[in-house]
Amino acid sequence: MPDAITVSELARSYGAVRAVRGISFTVGRGEIFALLGPNGAGKTTTLEILEGFRGRDAGQVEVLGFDPADRATGRVLRERIGLVLQDIAVEPYLTVRETLARNAGYYPAPRDVGEVIALAGLAGQERTKVRNLSGGLKRRLDLGLGLIGDPDLLFLDEPTTGFDPSARRDAWQIVRGLRGCGTTILLTTHYMDEAQALADRVAVMSGGRIVARGTPADLGGRDSAQARIRFALPRGYAAADLPTGATAVAGDGLVTVRTSAPTETLHQLTGWALDRGLTLDRLTVDRPSLEDVYLGLTGTAAAEDPVERSDR
Amino acid sequence: MSTATSRASRRDLALVWHQIRYEQLSFWRNPQSAFFTFVFPVVIITLFGAMFGGVGRSSYFYGLSALQYYVPTIAAVSVLGACYSQLAIVLSTRRQNGMLKRVRATPLPAWAYFLGLLAHCLVVSVVDIALIVGVGRLFGVPLPTQWAAAGAALVLGAASFCALGVAVASVIRNAEAAPAVVQLVLFPLVFISGTYLPIHSGVLDRIAGWLPVRPFNQALLGSFAQHTGVDWKDLGVLLAWGAAGALVAVWRFRWDPRAG
Ligand SMILES: Nc1ncnc2c1ncn2[C@@H]1O[C@H](COP(=O)(O)OP(=O)(O)OP(=O)(O)O)[C@@H](O)[C@H]1O
Ligand SMILES: [Mg+2]
Repeated sequence: MPDAITVSELARSYGAVRAVRGISFTVGRGEIFALLGPNGAGKTTTLEILEGFRGRDAGQVEVLGFDPADRATGRVLRERIGLVLQDIAVEPYLTVRETLARNAGYYPAPRDVGEVIALAGLAGQERTKVRNLSGGLKRRLDLGLGLIGDPDLLFLDEPTTGFDPSARRDAWQIVRGLRGCGTTILLTTHYMDEAQALADRVAVMSGGRIVARGTPADLGGRDSAQARIRFALPRGYAAADLPTGATAVAGDGLVTVRTSAPTETLHQLTGWALDRGLTLDRLTVDRPSLEDVYLGLTGTAAAEDPVERSDR
Repeated sequence: MSTATSRASRRDLALVWHQIRYEQLSFWRNPQSAFFTFVFPVVIITLFGAMFGGVGRSSYFYGLSALQYYVPTIAAVSVLGACYSQLAIVLSTRRQNGMLKRVRATPLPAWAYFLGLLAHCLVVSVVDIALIVGVGRLFGVPLPTQWAAAGAALVLGAASFCALGVAVASVIRNAEAAPAVVQLVLFPLVFISGTYLPIHSGVLDRIAGWLPVRPFNQALLGSFAQHTGVDWKDLGVLLAWGAAGALVAVWRFRWDPRAG
């Protein structure tokens, strides 16, 4: 089966700001793919090019076999995709049910309105005017509007931003449920744990480029394969005196030793200290968390060209 | 093939009807928009009724009584409000808060969305005119005589002023500026077109005759009170302005709040 989305060498600038600089990826049918990255990384720009809202400067894009920039096929494509945009905007004076029923009328074979209300976690709010919904409930309605047309492909731009932790879990549950129905999903997020909880594959974006990609386990695994041993350097000794070789001393006075064989390395270090009657104060052994991996990836990429870094 | 086409067009027809219903629902639910659209013209015609109710036929009002003159001109200005002003403001607000972009995210075709709005504006205009004619009747103004000509003028005028409203919404970027821009264009036009005071200046009348408001006033005056039927030149000028507005709208209209 052909891929649901293919993107190759996609680029887009806004004046001098090069928001997307030649990215490529594919999303298979039924797959959940996450674009992960900090503010201004170019996630929304990428998504909105795929959704047909924005033009592109260079590269090839195909969504369910269509070019989203082609106006002639726009309606057919939109009948098959669902969109949850980054900003919330819903008609304030209609009720939840009316809003969903209105949009259902736009699609040839919509989902049942009651079913979507249940799916989006809006049961009991059917007759509430949209203006009286809390921010999180509005976002759920937004999600419901993305689902109402029973799409083959769903775009979610930061679907859980502004959710409380339990609403976030609920939203994850909805997304997993959709995967069960065979819906392909492309989502963006700032949160590593969200990408890890939902996505089959992740691309980490920073400064308009994809700086890492893989399954959530791969991404986490790359650097967490290395254990990190940290301790305060004994007085009168330099990092170069250590038997294992060590990175420089950090601002907090701790040295870090990275190793893929922590048992041996630790033995060498403690042996070295005991031989000299020293103690290794504040000794810890740990592995970088996913969050550390993510910060490492996006931090270095952004630092490569500080001029073009967004302050949004 | 032809059955498929007819099925598709039946679906489109149902779609437009669906859109009109929800456009109406949103409007009537919003207390502000419903209030301002109807209250202003009704207050004006009631005030004029109280002030000029006793002013009989005079050459100043082209041989009509004051209220016979004002019922059609205030009806015209209420259509301007319901179509031109309302659309320009509603569309720029909806664009700014992202609601237009949401519409664009669905398969609803642009033409169906705009047909829904046009039908909505027409409904509001008809209600407005009925209210104004009703108040006029209370002050003894006879009902309009030439319904067909009045209907033709109304439909053409409403469509043209809707097109101009969309054009203005296409040109202004900022929703906060919309009411000011709308009034800035409308006020002098309404004034020189004799809406509130008959203009007895050949030069001014000729200039205003080529702008959109006066021809609409004249078309309603002719069919409501003067029994002169359809004036093709007036309708032609209206149509030309409507077409110009539609061109600007098609060329410049944006759904996205952000440029790009
Ligand atoms: N319409 C626009 N006009 C000008 N610059 C823009 C526009 N849209 C985005 N940008 C810029 O392009 C860059 C990428 O923006 P984009 O919105 O794609 O990032 P993002 O990854 O979605 O960020 P966030 O996490 O904050 O939503 C930013 O520097 C942003 O300021
Ligand atoms: Mg974004």
